Amino acid sequence: MEIIEKIKTNKSIDNQTEIQKICLNKLQSSPLPNPKSEPWRLSNKSKFSDLLDYSLNEKDTKFDTPYPNTSQNIIRLVIGDNCQIKLIEENYSIKELSEDELVKYIKKQISCFDQNENWSELLNLSLSCKKNILGLKINGSKIPPIEIFSHASSNSLNAKTLVIFLEKNCDIDLLQVNLGKDNSSLSQSTFFCLEENCSVNHGVVSYGESKSNLLNSLNVIQEKNSEYNLGSLHFKFNYARFEISIKQSAGNAKTNIKGMQITKKDEQISTYTKIEFKGPNGFLDQINKSLADDKSHAIFEGSIIVPKIAQRTDASQLSRNLLLSNLAQIDTKPQLEIIADDVKCKHGATISQLNEEELFYMRTRGITLTEASKLQLSSYFQEIITFIPVSKDRWDLLDKLLNEN
Amino acid sequence: MQSKMKELDPILEVENLSASTDNLPILKGVSLTVYPGEIHAIMGRNGCGKSTLSKIIAGHPSYNITDGDIKFLGENIKSQEPEERAQSGIFLGFQYPIEIPGVSNLEFLRVSTNARRKFLNKEELDTFDFEELVKEKLELVKMDHAFLSRSVNQGFSGGEKKRNEILQMALLEPKIAILDETDSGLDIDALRIVASGIKKISNSQTGVILITHYQRLLDEIKPNYVHVMSDGQIIKTGGSDLALELEKKGYEWTDNFIKEI
Repeated sequence: MEIIEKIKTNKSIDNQTEIQKICLNKLQSSPLPNPKSEPWRLSNKSKFSDLLDYSLNEKDTKFDTPYPNTSQNIIRLVIGDNCQIKLIEENYSIKELSEDELVKYIKKQISCFDQNENWSELLNLSLSCKKNILGLKINGSKIPPIEIFSHASSNSLNAKTLVIFLEKNCDIDLLQVNLGKDNSSLSQSTFFCLEENCSVNHGVVSYGESKSNLLNSLNVIQEKNSEYNLGSLHFKFNYARFEISIKQSAGNAKTNIKGMQITKKDEQISTYTKIEFKGPNGFLDQINKSLADDKSHAIFEGSIIVPKIAQRTDASQLSRNLLLSNLAQIDTKPQLEIIADDVKCKHGATISQLNEEELFYMRTRGITLTEASKLQLSSYFQEIITFIPVSKDRWDLLDKLLNEN
Repeated sequence: MQSKMKELDPILEVENLSASTDNLPILKGVSLTVYPGEIHAIMGRNGCGKSTLSKIIAGHPSYNITDGDIKFLGENIKSQEPEERAQSGIFLGFQYPIEIPGVSNLEFLRVSTNARRKFLNKEELDTFDFEELVKEKLELVKMDHAFLSRSVNQGFSGGEKKRNEILQMALLEPKIAILDETDSGLDIDALRIVASGIKKISNSQTGVILITHYQRLLDEIKPNYVHVMSDGQIIKTGGSDLALELEKKGYEWTDNFIKEI
């Protein structure tokens, strides 16, 4: 009950938005996720309570720029106090959603929420005040790449929400960057709606500092003939969850996902994905990679749901994992729920260590064990990193992973 | 010629070397000395310990040396890491070169070459300078420039992999090259290219150990010594004629030598 009390103490009922009231009400009956339920059973309880321990903060501290400078060819938005959306609206076919549109859309989403499965979204929407919700309606195909930032402040729990409507035939590259701060928690929820014939290359890069925590949820609805490509990377968090829910509302759509999480020290990072095909001829190609070192714990649970209506679905889910230490732990569970009988679905998981024969080969060429390991890791990372839009040209993620992390 | 070589200090001295893996003895007292300018061939049945000997000299971590020493340029290298041995001039050409997906051949060759150059106190090469050097070396093994942009050995044919090994040898300019069945899987033309590459790279200051099953490589590169291995030991050493005799009589002929030991 503590988190709800905290929200109520922080903000009187008169100052709460309609969405906040609805979500708080829903949370009352389920103030914390059920620790025995599938999506939460492996979650580290003490780390999760650390996440909720910080005081709520609706204000943003000064935002330093630990990322590449902005450029004329990039649209950059920061959710919260410093959002420059008005300037963007003048130059591009991007409009901010009106409050009515936002409320209507979010209410519709909430009505389908499961208390336990969507606990992170309910918490986020209970916490997010008006200025920390950014809603965009994007039209057209000549939009420059977009970078959207969410960031936490030290010693606080911040919540940011992003809602994006892509109108018919829209084609965009969007990179979302979630930044943790020292001793902070960030709750980020993103809602994406792709109308017919839309195509999106969506990148999600989340990284923290010492003792950063993250609850990151992504909710995508794809209409027919849309293509959604997601490349994601999560690293350097004390505790992080990335929950992805994608619905192909009428089938006949394409989804490609390449995600990676890297854990070190005693960190725990988990990814949960649920892909539902609500019509025929859907396509999914998903790879999730985890790399766990030291005493850390990486978790992947993925489910693909193919009901009877989703005939001729072609779906593949692969979990590939690298365990770099005897004390590290990886849990992976790719799973299929298939009712339709005319489908092509496969899933699999591998857990391995760095290939010793490859390492020896490189060492016999004078390359040190450290460098040889880096070369191997870089090839492991490349498959995911090159799939993250915008970043490949501007962000040296590989260098960050190999040399800073 | 032989006495002239022996006036110089040996490059490699393997002294009474015994080694095991998973408590299974593989080498049982191997001794071998290579002087500058010498070419040695090691022949023997499958499983006799030829490849193990080459891997142990290169520092493979899976083997445990139970007795004996390995000296390179007078220094005992038993405790050295594989990369230290490679940087100081020991080259192992693999029987089955390893594929490394996602690592570009060019970058791999550049990092390797610079590691060796650093040891030799030579200036490290940037990408541009390295391209110039590698272009010249590609000629030696008649390899196309396109191989450089591919992942290390990935999708290479057997012959291409072996040529890539010789390209690495050419770039690293080792003091001693141990070539483990470099001739296996090669057609006649590829064998000639590889053999010609080896001959051009080796000189009066370097040593070569050829591990092979067949005379055909030794027709191209004439060894000074031929050693026959059996059950983890060198059971006979002779000149290049020994290989011809083996070709005629087969390994059964060498079984008599084991009885003599």
